[in-house]
Amino acid sequence: MTPPPLIRIEALTRRFETGGGFLKRPRTMMAVQDVSLSIARGEVVGVVGESGCGKSTLARLVLRLLEPTSGRVLLGDSELTALPPAALRAARKRMAMVFQDPYSSLDPRYSLAEVLAEPFVVQRRALPSGAVAAMLAAVGLPETLATSHPHQLSGGQRQRVGIARALALEPEFLVLDEPTASLDVSIQAQIIDLLADLRDRLGLTYLFISHDLGLVRYFCDRIVVMYLGAVVEVLPHADAAPRHPYTRALIDSGFAPDPARRRTIAPLTGEIPSPFALPPGCAFAGRCPRATDRCRTDRPALGGDAAHPVACFHPH
Amino acid sequence: MSGRALPAPLRAFRRPLGAVAGGWLAAVILAALFAPLLTPYDYDIQALKEAYQPASARHWLGTDEFGRDLLTRLIYGARTSLSVSGIAIALSVACGMTLGAAAAWFGGWFDRAVTVVVDLTWSFPEILIALILVAIIGPGTTGTMVAISVAYLAQFTRLTRAQILTLKSETFIEAARSLGAGNAHILFRHLLPNALAPVLVSAMLATGDAIILEATLGFFGLGAQPPVPSWGGMMSAGSALVFKAPWIIIFPGLAVAVTVVAINLFGDALIAELDIRARMRRQV
Amino acid sequence: MSALLELSEVSVSIGRAALLERISLRLEPGHILGLVGESGSGKSLTAMAAMGLLPLIGGRVTGGTVRFDGQDIAAMTDGQRRALRGRRIGFVTQNPMTALDPVQRIGAQIDVVSRLHLGLSRQAARARTLDLLTQLRIPEAAAVAEAWPHQLSGGMKQRIVIAMALAGDPDLIVADEPTTALDVTVQAQIIQILGALVRERGLALLLITHDMGVVAQICDRVAVLYAGRLAEENAVDPIFAAPAHPYTRALIGCIPQEGMARGSLHGIPGAVPGALQFPPGCRFHPRCPQASALCRATVPPLTPHGAGIAACHHLSVEAR
Repeated sequence: MTPPPLIRIEALTRRFETGGGFLKRPRTMMAVQDVSLSIARGEVVGVVGESGCGKSTLARLVLRLLEPTSGRVLLGDSELTALPPAALRAARKRMAMVFQDPYSSLDPRYSLAEVLAEPFVVQRRALPSGAVAAMLAAVGLPETLATSHPHQLSGGQRQRVGIARALALEPEFLVLDEPTASLDVSIQAQIIDLLADLRDRLGLTYLFISHDLGLVRYFCDRIVVMYLGAVVEVLPHADAAPRHPYTRALIDSGFAPDPARRRTIAPLTGEIPSPFALPPGCAFAGRCPRATDRCRTDRPALGGDAAHPVACFHPH
Repeated sequence: MSGRALPAPLRAFRRPLGAVAGGWLAAVILAALFAPLLTPYDYDIQALKEAYQPASARHWLGTDEFGRDLLTRLIYGARTSLSVSGIAIALSVACGMTLGAAAAWFGGWFDRAVTVVVDLTWSFPEILIALILVAIIGPGTTGTMVAISVAYLAQFTRLTRAQILTLKSETFIEAARSLGAGNAHILFRHLLPNALAPVLVSAMLATGDAIILEATLGFFGLGAQPPVPSWGGMMSAGSALVFKAPWIIIFPGLAVAVTVVAINLFGDALIAELDIRARMRRQV
Repeated sequence: MSALLELSEVSVSIGRAALLERISLRLEPGHILGLVGESGSGKSLTAMAAMGLLPLIGGRVTGGTVRFDGQDIAAMTDGQRRALRGRRIGFVTQNPMTALDPVQRIGAQIDVVSRLHLGLSRQAARARTLDLLTQLRIPEAAAVAEAWPHQLSGGMKQRIVIAMALAGDPDLIVADEPTTALDVTVQAQIIQILGALVRERGLALLLITHDMGVVAQICDRVAVLYAGRLAEENAVDPIFAAPAHPYTRALIGCIPQEGMARGSLHGIPGAVPGALQFPPGCRFHPRCPQASALCRATVPPLTPHGAGIAACHHLSVEAR
């Protein structure tokens, strides 16, 4: 019997209204469209896609840092999207987020000790003695940094502090929003190594948001591919052969660090449609080499094999 | 990082101009505080026999038309000028920060209303606003204080609002929320402390302007009422005697000018020390 | 073949900080030289030195020479150097969002380069602009030329910046992280376009990047910089097949690759030191798994290694 999932996302949708004003009609942007996903305890699920695909909005919806237009998110038995403010605040102990920009995610006026004490202050819990040193040690930082301020740290060190802060209240679930996107590859590898180690030691569950399919394939158990707000494919494991033409294009766009594997790339043609005016059919049809008339008029639903669903009329 | 531990106002003293300006300001403030200890004369006892004396060993800066020691009146005048402008600006900062923070925080119609009112006041010169208010409240120290604080309200409201709006979108605010932080925590532990430095520096610079405004109101006879000395009042009295006893207008005029320049120079040193030049400009 | 761009033992300082030390590079027409290393290794500064742009950031060359087409650029007048940039050297920046003037139409921004540097008439310049846009596979070139920068996507803007770099008909293009700000599918397009330009037009390309995948895909030679010094320089195949310097090896090992087991990615411990805290000896020694007492004390000299050079006391013996 499989245990119940830790996170259940059901038909999550978020629209943004913008631009309403004098002589202007408000426009609706479909940021996240009907996303459903379950994450088992201990699993690392990757969400990959290009800028504007809605992956960061999804991250915020899952932690209810943004309110969904419709749909539900459940953490264990509690329905996050229905919790009243006080209960939601209490539930925040169980989940946390690591942000992309390690430079702006720490208050410049706070010392590291203050940054790491903040979760306790916010949750009105006493800070155990020695906790700051222990938190710093857990992410590989020396205790002597406790009195430093963020501007005295390197990007990699700051991101370690961001991870330590996320872990302060011993959550079960972490959303990692491009935690290495603004770091050098050498530092990225350190951080990924640390995250993998923490997961093993603390039994954490991750939702890992990234634009880098190579990185996601290295780090994640299951991979959700998003395009313009919607899930187009869920790869059941890192080495699964991609079935959606967009996933295939993403993989083909990456270059292996091996001159022996040089290749000509058939670049995608066409521009990405505006999220304010999605076409009636498949959002990828305009750039897809396999598109037919049906793709331009009907929207394919995510379906097929339950273990490896794909939203395409002509999958590979 | 050596010296980072020192508070910024002290670090500003390590810059040559900051040290000179800060030294003058410290001297003026101390003189104002300890005025009775510094001078053997009273500011209000008239000695008509000694009227119109130029500078001498007995009266270092000479005497005025009533024979009162000019230095004594200048020192007591510093009391009036500094306290009136200082308190007025403090009041203005307190109200402006509250208003600006509330506007940025709540947004919506409240923000729009505040913005419209602030932009309207912003478009009038401070002196005009102050004159109208003094006319309504009546001349005197209290009237001047209220007038000055209202005249500068728009500046602090705008600056605070702009700071809070920018800070609100910083990731560390979202991070605090993701930990379960409520509005009060975000406002008082993150937004306001980060907005404080630029607002305080701008308040310090505004105090310089306020001293001029106070002197102007005093010059028109709308500030502190005789016999209480104020720099503006002294200049007003001296203006009729500019040929007969020029020192009566020159010294208070110099006091205003040097103090205001010192405030500006010290403010510049502070801005450089705090590294907030870019943030000071952000007012819209 | 004679070099189009040649840096010989170039050292650069800004203020008290000696940021580059004796950097030597050669770039021939029709070739792509990749300049790689972490942030703070001196890649961008090397490019600035190559273009004679150091005064712009308060830097100065403290030793060595930069030659473009045989001419020492230090001996040129400011006017000659300005004519060199734009006319013979095109520059593509990292951030296409800020490289374009927001209040000028796209076409006008490209036109001005060829009018200024090639002396073309208004009409001839526009014809050339449209031709360039078409070559860069921009659909509806005429419409794009009339557009404003904010109307274009990031990938499109980067192609416009490349068009501007090409408009003066240069011999050398210096591209500083040209695809870092772009999505991967767009990056693939841009890299493809840059590679094709070099092959078809016989241009030389100095490509600064932190992405070893991009380097493997299009570069002919690779220079690896670390903390202001050249760690290794070689043809692209040996760089990847048999990296001589431990730093090169570590950089390649940082990239997650297909079929890699989880836990096999380790990164490079520590971080690139600041210019005022460069360690003695080999500057990489605090982060190097092979560091010995010799590395801590003595600067390793650049020595020939196969078809290239490398600076390490522990070069892998077989290739020496």
